[in-house]
Amino acid sequence: MIDLGPSYQSRVRKRTIILAFFFFLWFIVLTLRLIQLQVIEHRRLREAVISQSQYERPIIPERGTIYDRHGQILACSLPAPTACLIPNDDDLPADLYAQVERLKNIVNLSGKELQNIKSRIDSQETFIFIKRKISWDQAERISKLNLNRVFIQKENKRFYPLGSLAAHVLGGLNIDGEGQSGVELQYNSRLEGVKGRSLILKDAKKRRYDWETLEEPKPGQDLVLTLDETIQYITERELERAVREHEASWGTVIVSHPASGEILAMATCPTYDSNDYPPSPPELGRNRAIQQNFEPGSMFKIVTATAAREAGVVGMNDIFDCSKGNIQVAGWTISDHKKMGVLTFTEVIVQSSNVGTIMVGQRIGQAKLFRMIQDFRFGQKTGIDLPGEESGIFHPLNKWSRTSLAAHSIGYEISVTAIQILQAMNTLANRGILVPFRITQPSFAPTSLTSDIPAAGVRIISERTASELTSRVFEGVVAEGTGQAAGVDGFSAAGKTGTARKLDQELHVYLASRHLASFVGFVPADRPVISIVVVLDEPKFSLQYGGQVAAPVFREIARRVLLYLRQAPQFSLDKKTVTAQLRSHDLP
Amino acid sequence: MVRKRLNRKEIAAAAGCTLLAVATLTFYVWHQAAIIQIGYQTGRLEEKRAGLKEDIKKLETDKATLLAPDRVDRIAREELQLVEPKPDQIIYEGQRPSDHHD
Repeated sequence: MIDLGPSYQSRVRKRTIILAFFFFLWFIVLTLRLIQLQVIEHRRLREAVISQSQYERPIIPERGTIYDRHGQILACSLPAPTACLIPNDDDLPADLYAQVERLKNIVNLSGKELQNIKSRIDSQETFIFIKRKISWDQAERISKLNLNRVFIQKENKRFYPLGSLAAHVLGGLNIDGEGQSGVELQYNSRLEGVKGRSLILKDAKKRRYDWETLEEPKPGQDLVLTLDETIQYITERELERAVREHEASWGTVIVSHPASGEILAMATCPTYDSNDYPPSPPELGRNRAIQQNFEPGSMFKIVTATAAREAGVVGMNDIFDCSKGNIQVAGWTISDHKKMGVLTFTEVIVQSSNVGTIMVGQRIGQAKLFRMIQDFRFGQKTGIDLPGEESGIFHPLNKWSRTSLAAHSIGYEISVTAIQILQAMNTLANRGILVPFRITQPSFAPTSLTSDIPAAGVRIISERTASELTSRVFEGVVAEGTGQAAGVDGFSAAGKTGTARKLDQELHVYLASRHLASFVGFVPADRPVISIVVVLDEPKFSLQYGGQVAAPVFREIARRVLLYLRQAPQFSLDKKTVTAQLRSHDLP
Repeated sequence: MVRKRLNRKEIAAAAGCTLLAVATLTFYVWHQAAIIQIGYQTGRLEEKRAGLKEDIKKLETDKATLLAPDRVDRIAREELQLVEPKPDQIIYEGQRPSDHHD
């Protein structure tokens, strides 16, 4: 063993103490730093770590698909790219502006949109949409620019593969995917589902390496409509043709199956492409079948005739003298379109005599006519599962004036919607039973369009009255009255025409030059398979009567739909002989 | 200063402990790396699956677009020169032609 002496040992001890002191100091510094990081700045640093290594992301559920009654897709959601800007804290606004400027022509940013993005950059927002739901081609062109703060994200975009078909029934969504009109709005909560949440874990290069579902999303449920794609197409085509030929302001048609209340087609013209929702101008988006009130004119005589028969105040062969061609009611002169002589009750309705119908109305009296109008549910929404339905305008009895009885008898001083008139006609088709309308059904299960009397519904008039009026009056309208143009070869049809003068809102007078032409009816008359209402607003040129303008639309739609539904004619075309009938009326 | 000599058993024990610690750490790191790699792979496969599902849906939508009634109608009339049948050309199911044309 080597003895190094006391001075060496003292030096070593001194160095050891100094070293120990430095180690102690280093330990103290480390401890203080740990306290600073783990205790004092714990919350801030924890948040920083979490934001660097993980983030929460909503899981957007897939919106349900909308189908027609046979499973044809009417609306579905597909992924679409969205361009967004995600700035870093140290980014200069000028650099971010420059990046946005480079893609403004690709995504067609308007000056207003550009200004909005710039102001959001100035407010140091951490996530900015540049343009949402762009095309894949635009997204590819943006990606090629390699802009470091511009990202492409996926969103769901609603797509309507049939374009404008049934646009007013389907409605549309806003940019955030929320229903704004039509069944998209009515069934929004069912279609959209419930959002979920996921936790995404990312590495230093911000690559996702793991994720965890915090909350499962609930996908939206699909929706099956009662609409038939082919019937809808036939209806829209014929309506569009009529509106174009007569230069009408607008037109609407509804086709329904009376016994079930199912809407097979609902069209409004002019229309728009659902893929360009919202329509411009917004007025184009109005579903006039349920959202347009109008004075029905002579179509309303179905109510007057029903009230007369139900009240038992008029016999079928009762005589009314209409030879004067006009009638005075409280200083108001109401005329027929021509002098008609002496008519029976049946002829009054078949020839649509205003004078005769007012005389019928006077026999019914205010209270009974009012009650019948109420029973037919005028002034109330039909309750169809579509949003924004109008209830029409039907004044209470105590507001009726001295002219109201006469006016209501011939369809004035009351406003209705096309669907309300169809509901009234369907009640006659169903032999007195009012069946509520519906536009959705639970599944694609084959639906038979049978002509059986409905099991569901409310009886509002007697079966006898309904059958009698159908066979003796409303079939007569089509066979020999004002609605002859509605006659479908091989089939018996029942219906009523309407030609209502329009009220000048400023002058408060009915104009002889502006009409609303309409027709409502069903076919075949004895076992109705379809019922149709046609309304055309302000047809131009010489043809302005419902029987001239709307009845042919009814005929063409009915003819093509019956052929599509494989309904064999009841009569041979040249001779009125009864032919064989198909037993089943299943839709193809 | 007196330096104590370590015996072989102590050296072996220390080396063993160090080796075990290093092996455990290595396994842990490898395990973590493997999990992350599998995470990347699963992510890629999930994206692929979602992409394929999107493709299916897009194809179904394309099919619906191609079968749109106005397109079929236009092709039938303009390209195939088809016309609507005349009433006497239609024979209904369950009905003899003579029923209709007499």
